Amino acid sequence: MPAFKDDQIIVIEPGSETTLAQLGLAESLTPARLRVRSRMFPAEKEGEWEPYKIRRRADLSGKPTEGQNGTAEGDEAKKTAGGDDDEVVYEEDRVSEEGAVWPIQQGRITNWPCFFALITHVYNTLNPPFHTPILLIAQPSWTPREHEKLTQFFFEKFKTPAFGLMDAALATSWAYGVHTSTIVDVGKDKVDVTAISEFIPHITGRVTALDGCGGEALTEGLLAKLKSKKFTRAMCEQLKKSPICEILPPGVPVPGSGEVGDQETITNPASAASTGAPGSGAAAASGLGNVPRGPGIDTEVGDEANGDGEENEGVLDVASIVAGGKMSEYLAKKEKEKQDKALAKKKGAEAPKTDNRPVRLPNAKREKATFMYEDHALLDTLKNMNLGTKGMAEAHAALDEGPQKKPQEDQDGEPRSVVEANGNTELGPAISKTGHIRREIEVGAERFQAASNGVLERIADAIHRTISSVDEVNKRSELWESLVICGNGSRVRGFKEALLATLQSKYLISPSSATMFTSEIPSNISTPTGTGANTPQPQLGPHGGSSGVNPLLLAATTAQNPHMLPPGANPLMSSHNTHSSHGQTPTNIKFVKPPEYFPEWKDVGFDEAAFLGAQVAAKVLFVVDQGASKGYMTRPDYNDQGPTGIHDYGL
Amino acid sequence: MNMPNSSTAPNANEYAGDEVSAIVLDPGYSTTRAGFAGEDVPKSVCPSFYGQIGDDGDSSRYFFGENSIHNPVGDLQIKNPWGSDGIVEDWDTATKIWEYAITSRLTGSKPTDPTKNGLNDANGDAMEVDVEALEQSEKPLEDSPLLMTEPGWNSTKAREKYIELAFEEWGTPAFYLHKTGALAAFASGKASGIVIDVGASHTSVTPVLDGMVLRKGVQKSPLAGNFVSNQIRLSFKQSSPEIPLTPHYLVASKTQVDAGAPAQASYKTFATPPTESFRRHEEERVLTEFKESVVELWPGPGRFSNGTNEEIAKNQPGRPFEMPDGWNQVFSSERFRVAEGLFDASAALTDADSPKPKDEWCIPRLVQQALTHVDADQRPLLLQNIVVTGGSTLLYKFNERLNYEINTIYPSTRNKLIAPGPVVERKYAAWIGGSILASLGSFHQLWISKKEYEEHGSNIVEKRCR
Repeated sequence: MPAFKDDQIIVIEPGSETTLAQLGLAESLTPARLRVRSRMFPAEKEGEWEPYKIRRRADLSGKPTEGQNGTAEGDEAKKTAGGDDDEVVYEEDRVSEEGAVWPIQQGRITNWPCFFALITHVYNTLNPPFHTPILLIAQPSWTPREHEKLTQFFFEKFKTPAFGLMDAALATSWAYGVHTSTIVDVGKDKVDVTAISEFIPHITGRVTALDGCGGEALTEGLLAKLKSKKFTRAMCEQLKKSPICEILPPGVPVPGSGEVGDQETITNPASAASTGAPGSGAAAASGLGNVPRGPGIDTEVGDEANGDGEENEGVLDVASIVAGGKMSEYLAKKEKEKQDKALAKKKGAEAPKTDNRPVRLPNAKREKATFMYEDHALLDTLKNMNLGTKGMAEAHAALDEGPQKKPQEDQDGEPRSVVEANGNTELGPAISKTGHIRREIEVGAERFQAASNGVLERIADAIHRTISSVDEVNKRSELWESLVICGNGSRVRGFKEALLATLQSKYLISPSSATMFTSEIPSNISTPTGTGANTPQPQLGPHGGSSGVNPLLLAATTAQNPHMLPPGANPLMSSHNTHSSHGQTPTNIKFVKPPEYFPEWKDVGFDEAAFLGAQVAAKVLFVVDQGASKGYMTRPDYNDQGPTGIHDYGL
Repeated sequence: MNMPNSSTAPNANEYAGDEVSAIVLDPGYSTTRAGFAGEDVPKSVCPSFYGQIGDDGDSSRYFFGENSIHNPVGDLQIKNPWGSDGIVEDWDTATKIWEYAITSRLTGSKPTDPTKNGLNDANGDAMEVDVEALEQSEKPLEDSPLLMTEPGWNSTKAREKYIELAFEEWGTPAFYLHKTGALAAFASGKASGIVIDVGASHTSVTPVLDGMVLRKGVQKSPLAGNFVSNQIRLSFKQSSPEIPLTPHYLVASKTQVDAGAPAQASYKTFATPPTESFRRHEEERVLTEFKESVVELWPGPGRFSNGTNEEIAKNQPGRPFEMPDGWNQVFSSERFRVAEGLFDASAALTDADSPKPKDEWCIPRLVQQALTHVDADQRPLLLQNIVVTGGSTLLYKFNERLNYEINTIYPSTRNKLIAPGPVVERKYAAWIGGSILASLGSFHQLWISKKEYEEHGSNIVEKRCR
């Protein structure tokens, strides 16, 4: 078999939310080039799957939509089923996710046919040549039997010449280039915590698929707080991904936390708009920089002001208004708003700049902020209404508030730059960005409370459990000092810092005051039992040799002060302090610094480091090692041993 | 390609071992170990504790696995299916726990999965692979022989229950039951020896001769890991002022305080406070940490209470320990005392609820007892192979003390402790022995097949598994 080359290698990382894949390794390793949402749509025929939502149009008004290819809705590639049969028209909707099946739940593969279809779709999209080895990143919760199943699938479906499985946590540690570390992978709906020592994951104590702790839980947390304000789940999801959503470390007060009532703390931007003067207070001032103009709460002007509950309710749920046939009314209102807005802008510009400039507070200090909401539900509703191209475009133009610099009328066909935020995972090149309808929404201090449902504490506890279950006790302090938090669920601003702060406030062992100064006070006083607080005694460091005390310092101090060693205990002492199992951890909790020699990764962050690690590993296994250390299974191996043989191969 | 040479492992199909992919299940009081035969570590180590919400009955919900039993949810009770006599008491739940241990990390296909996830209705049978999987997953172990371990004192009734479980509930094609003592000896490569197993709930001493457990000689006592935990609790309680034991889940954040000073942590509040059993289980985590980092056995010479030993211990540097709420203190001689009861019953701390343990429960007495049931001429052989296993033997200086005690009782023989260094081997010795045994080609003739079981009934286990 000829050797594998860099450009032939496929790396696939399936995830609950996004599946990453790439064909070929670049000279400098890049983030995954192919990103696919991990979902498929059931096709009309049972058992078949489609990568995009297929809408069926069997209507008579299908005719006027004929000419829309390449126009406003460029993303809706159309095809007619059954040749020229005009009656049934199918169209691919690349944005909608209605009815999608997500085959991976909490890291586990729950729907195998769908999962296989997804992998097949990924494989076909990559369109690899025949001589292509595949490295698949395995989620920690996959069982050995499932590994066998996957092996069978890859060899028999794709006839791949070589196949390897790599543990996701291990891959992350490869990316960071650390041999001993604790990998905390915060996924969509789960968290995996793995302790890795000397490149070997500790299988027995690892926490796999801790549910209710991933990104989804953060969305739920937001939703729980904002439900009373008529926020939908989709809004919370996008709020989470926007940069204004932040998780504050424990103990940091939420801005305006005194009262986060619905009405009281809201300063009326409408008044600000009409007078051109900022409202009073930091919140209002900071809000003025980008006065919320969208249909957020409390932004109506004039007679539609506060207290009109019905209006408020309708405003957030534009989709239902549109569906309910009140669209023209609503559009008229919108138009008015836009004019007001323009007016406000003008006036705002006239307002003294001194008021505006210094109040650009950091997000964490501001009580309110706004974000762009891409309203998929509204778009779906519009599509289902079967407006013509023109109607669609008009509605689109009227409803979209995305970029405000350009004229609002004739731009909806153009691709726009989306407000790129914390974790917008929808970057697939296949998915065009046009067609979204964006609206601005304002949120209050709730945006800091995504993790208020105990997510961080559960993760912290899982980390503590994982490290405590590592049998080699002397490894524990090193594991605490090399935490890696990865996974797209951890992208929310402040998440990692808050988690670290939680860990430190709950688990960090501070040097005991009883032993802190002992190495400086030579003393032969024997300690009375029980309350040894004020009778310091000589000791080789507070927590034994293995835990954080600099051994060199230790050796130096005791060597110069032989009298420091207690009488009659010397032989015991030495063995005592080298014994691994003594010493409480952690005395220090730190993150591992991400590697600096991957320029392409620096900008996007190392949340998907597992993919990077897998690329490194793929290069090592397939190109450098060439199978000498059984890092992957070849086709002849598979033919000999069958799927169960996969356990003999791997890192 | 991979050319075989002297240093490569034999090809899988050269020996019959790996073909069967048997599963080895080693249930214990604290954890349940499961994994594939032929591997060196059990892939699945699950807590034997489980959570239950609601009282017994149909409405109660059960929670298995590490992730769910540490969640401070109101009304969550933490229970254990093992009885106080070291034999499974609650069979229904034990079955579920063991099944969880196997399916969650090994086979993956839960029997209810395909019907429960509701996704298969629409999929039909387009994928061949999947259909096969569905058939297999009707019973969790349909394609894996199962080797289970049992304590040496297991009752006949319990043994029959094991085999019924394996064949009827899990549908395994072949089954075998072996005693933990013999398997632990195998793991150390010994066919004969005396196995001292200090676990969580029980300490047992098992004489093994030529791979057979001498059943009369098996000794057990409740002085084990849990006993040490209780001693620590007592020690905390009896110290003045009383040492508070606050588990992690109650603490929101801790502040550093001086040694011995009251804790100044901020605590969490719960709408429905977690149950007492949950608290106890969480406290156990703190005690485990305490055992790992503070507790030490007096290594000899002499017992801890003898002569000046206690005085010497006091002069040794103490070891600091910090509680989850920040309370911290240096523990001096009391850290020796809490484990002393394992070897010296009269040294054990006592109070109204925990009376003084019986003298014959101490480890030296157990060894003595066990050896009286062995022919006198076999004793030297056994004493040359004293296999030490079980998680609680990891207590610091345990081996030194045991060595001292044995040499005191049997000064004239050559006594040798065999205590594997790697923690994994010490903790999971019985499982590893089972893994070795089940992967041997020659073990195949020992399996009880499903057909045999159907012919002879569950009684067959008494005849075949000795």
